[in-house]
Amino acid sequence: MEYVVVRYPTRRLVTIDDEQNGNTNEVLRVDAGTHVFALGGPANYRPAQRTVAVADTSPLEPLEVRFSPKKGA
Amino acid sequence: MRALAVAALALLALLAACASVEPGNPPLARYSPDAGYRFDRLQAPAGADRLFVIVTFSGGGTRAAALAFGVLEALRDTTLELDGRKTRLLDEVDVISSISGGSFPAAYYALRGEATFAEFPGKFLYRPIQSELVSLALSPASWPRLAAAAYGRSDLAASFYDREVFGGATYADVIARDRRPFVILNATDMSTGRPFPFIQDRFDLICSDLAGVKLARAAAASSAFPGGLTALTFWNYAGGCGYRQPAWVALAMQDPPAQLNARRTAEAEARLSLAAPGPARPYLHLTDGGVSDNLGLRGPLEAIVSVDSPWSVLRRINQGRVERLVVIAVNAATRPETKRDASADVPGLVDTVTAAATVPLDNYSFDTVELLDRIAAEYRSDARAVAACNRLSAARGAQCALNLPAPNAVELYPVQVAFEFLPDRAERDWALDVPTSLELPRAAVDRLRLLGRKLLAQDPQFRRLLGELHGCLPAAGSGC
Repeated sequence: MEYVVVRYPTRRLVTIDDEQNGNTNEVLRVDAGTHVFALGGPANYRPAQRTVAVADTSPLEPLEVRFSPKKGA
Repeated sequence: MRALAVAALALLALLAACASVEPGNPPLARYSPDAGYRFDRLQAPAGADRLFVIVTFSGGGTRAAALAFGVLEALRDTTLELDGRKTRLLDEVDVISSISGGSFPAAYYALRGEATFAEFPGKFLYRPIQSELVSLALSPASWPRLAAAAYGRSDLAASFYDREVFGGATYADVIARDRRPFVILNATDMSTGRPFPFIQDRFDLICSDLAGVKLARAAAASSAFPGGLTALTFWNYAGGCGYRQPAWVALAMQDPPAQLNARRTAEAEARLSLAAPGPARPYLHLTDGGVSDNLGLRGPLEAIVSVDSPWSVLRRINQGRVERLVVIAVNAATRPETKRDASADVPGLVDTVTAAATVPLDNYSFDTVELLDRIAAEYRSDARAVAACNRLSAARGAQCALNLPAPNAVELYPVQVAFEFLPDRAERDWALDVPTSLELPRAAVDRLRLLGRKLLAQDPQFRRLLGELHGCLPAAGSGC
């Protein structure tokens, strides 16, 4: 199992490979491999999605995937 | 006389040629991810995932069916407390995954629910199914159909199960019940050696509508024991329904092979091979589910550790919906006594081929059960590691507190029902020597049913679950 934290200033839904998978700023478990991360709700963040190869993580050192609010959002 | 025999053979060949073999699976007009037999479409009350229960039934003919049925009876009689209300554990079962002999009680329960307990023993467990199938195959009335190249003994068995056990039911009848458990009968794709679950997600790949497939045909494919029974042919209509693969498939295919996640890439390749338009494989030949996984546990394990599974439990865990995850693996594996080593004679061909066919499967089953335990340990340890780290850092003072976020905590209960755990040696030896057959004496069936209850009741993880949820499983015939 691999571990990922999707960072965003507020609590938002997280989608992994187009499926709902928990919330931002929580440690999520995923299987190893390349995944597409995005946020649910309004598209007022950037980038629109991140494609990341997830491997060699641990619960103490999860991979961080960062999103930020769009300017003016 | 010779002329008569030639004439009879010619007539049989003519009849075989005339015997039209209809596809047992209809095409799907249009792919719709919101329709068909899918876990996410089944009605479930709010909070139903908090206690998530998966039950798996192994192969092993009537022995496996009787043991599985005994466990179903025990789950029906087990009560526990959830959110201050009393409930039956059977009503909390979310998924049943089955193989071969175990697929008969699973399919029957998917179709008939509570009525299973009154009907299934008479319909299946106590019947000499094997003798009835042999009689059917030897009947001259069956010969023209059996002589057709696309019709085998499993097709004959499927028509028998359809008539005598499942009453003509299709998956449309199961879908109409619209309730959990999601029952997954598993066969094996003979060409790829991979499990082939009877769920709409898999039938989407071949653009076929599972709703039109008879339950009997699914059970027959799942139990098409190689040699005695033939593989079943399914039509592949891939390319004709506008199907789209889930996003993860393309991503897995981009990964360097065997470097990131070889299992994921192999599953993506298998999906693409089935769905290749043309279709690249116009027909699929499905054989016994036990050829690829005799426990029916691989699919559930995939659902527990992968967000790719069509009924991913991991996604639900990430969403914080699962607090307790119970996996009850009902394994009717035996270890028949052999006199091989009492003699210096070189083992014969049949003995050697049988060992070559069964030993790798048994070893694989052993590894699968170990994998379940490893996954349970991983779930136990990952959240605890973060908690321990936070505790240790906080002990050095508030300014040192790390406050690391932890993955959602899940209590996993890997429950095993298997004859090898019987404490009484005579009882264990008896159970481990029950043959794999589609007919057993009534007394043996009844004894196996009771063993299912007994083995469940004694399992340490099951007892832990009952202890934590104020549960009770009474002895057969008594109350809590």
